[in-house]
Amino acid sequence: MLWYKAWLETRSRFLISLIGIVALCSASVLYGDRNVAYEVGSEYYNFVLFEGHQLLVLMWTLAVTLIMMGGLLGEKANGSSSFTLALPVSRRRLMVVRICTGLAQAFVLAIVPWIAMFSVSGIFGKTRSVSQAGCYLVLLLGGGLLFFAVAVLASSLISGVYTAPAVSFGAVIATAVALSSAAMRRYSPWEFMSGARYRSEQTNLLSCPIPWLQAAIYMLVAGLLLAISVKAIQRREF
Amino acid sequence: MTNGLVIQTERLGKSYGRIEALKELNLSIRAHGITAFLGLNGAAKSTTIKILLGMMRPSSGDGTILGQRISDPIESVRIRRKIAYVSENKRLYDYMTVDQMIRFTSAFYPDWRPSEEQRLLRQFKLPRDRKVKSLSKGMRTKLGLLMAFARQPELLILDEPSEGLDPGGIEELLEILVARCSEGTTIFFSSHQIAEVERIADQICILHAGRLVLDSSVDDLRESYRRIDLIFPSIPAEHDFRIAGIEDVRTRGHQMSVLASRNAEAVVARAHDFHATSIDITPVALRDVFLQKVKEN
Repeated sequence: MLWYKAWLETRSRFLISLIGIVALCSASVLYGDRNVAYEVGSEYYNFVLFEGHQLLVLMWTLAVTLIMMGGLLGEKANGSSSFTLALPVSRRRLMVVRICTGLAQAFVLAIVPWIAMFSVSGIFGKTRSVSQAGCYLVLLLGGGLLFFAVAVLASSLISGVYTAPAVSFGAVIATAVALSSAAMRRYSPWEFMSGARYRSEQTNLLSCPIPWLQAAIYMLVAGLLLAISVKAIQRREF
Repeated sequence: MTNGLVIQTERLGKSYGRIEALKELNLSIRAHGITAFLGLNGAAKSTTIKILLGMMRPSSGDGTILGQRISDPIESVRIRRKIAYVSENKRLYDYMTVDQMIRFTSAFYPDWRPSEEQRLLRQFKLPRDRKVKSLSKGMRTKLGLLMAFARQPELLILDEPSEGLDPGGIEELLEILVARCSEGTTIFFSSHQIAEVERIADQICILHAGRLVLDSSVDDLRESYRRIDLIFPSIPAEHDFRIAGIEDVRTRGHQMSVLASRNAEAVVARAHDFHATSIDITPVALRDVFLQKVKEN
């Protein structure tokens, strides 16, 4: 039943985010297609999908931060943490269920907009490449899980329902700014998620093999941050 | 359970930096009774309950509930499976309906009684489809109580259970508590409401500034505590009456009022020695004992 609670707690934020992201990404692809008044090659449509992905990256990061706000510290702020903590379940289990529900929602928020963008471009008879979409998704989720973990960590350390997501956004922006120089850009998860580094200028396709190692490193760091979040909640006094 | 005690703490303490919120608390709560946990605001009643339930860690000491150690996270989960708890603020999940709240909670407890749930829903007149956030404080309190009373726990821990209830609701609550106790459930509740405590409690624990200043059965209190009002032709010194068992002595003009927790006979004998013209011995209300204990500490 903890899954049920986690779903009820986040469903409005999740559904609003999903509808909003799907609508914006679909509109971006639709507008990109309609904007073309002359005959263009497939590389233009690849660019339209790339642009759609940039919008998705931005919206997805915003959405997961909002979805992961709350948790036990949020409940402490509104007074319901006493009820949750009196349930016969460990704090670890509470956190694991919350994180897993959030992860499932984060995956849906990444995959469904891509399906929507594919469907929209398909309706207009444009070229589609499943492998390209798959590659974009790996980049988005590989780097994005780091920001997901930052959102969980912020909500596990900072009291106040809205302070934690504000800090989390701050961390996202700080990371983007700090790693924006040419020398540091290759380490930027933001750059990684967008796929800009891997895009061919000629074809607008992601041209290099999937950077599994970098994705694995980001996921490892994300895992570490999530483990710290669980520990922080286990040690916290309510 | 050890020695028939459902709650037992030994030198339980809680400090926040240099501030000692709870000082060496030794609690012994017997099974199958109703124990009231009294204290002023900030006396550390809720802190004690939170420590008992594993929400806070003690700075010193330890304790057991139903034989399980409160400081052990695994045993704490076992404790919470066997007990029911209603928190001080009665805040629940605003995003759930009454029905969702009940379904969610019932899934955690094998001792949930659907028939009792239905009966309490009717008795409390709770609207099943209403969101928790739209319930009044009284309704929220009733929902919290329903989720505790729909079970058959070994121990009920209630933090200010009557807060937010109207007089009718308080009456219903007290009746349910007495009924639950007669079915074998031990009840431990904190309260400011001395009148309701006096009506149902068997045992009283008074906490003041983090220290346990009284732990007594209500019967013992009623039997031993006496207010002795004396009138003298010439008022004697207060210290002449400050003998063992005398909690408080007050003089006003020719009148003297003595609060005795024992030794009332010795006070009477001494009053005769000082030629008292009037000696009036009356039982003491719990309120007086409470105020006296708070004052002297």
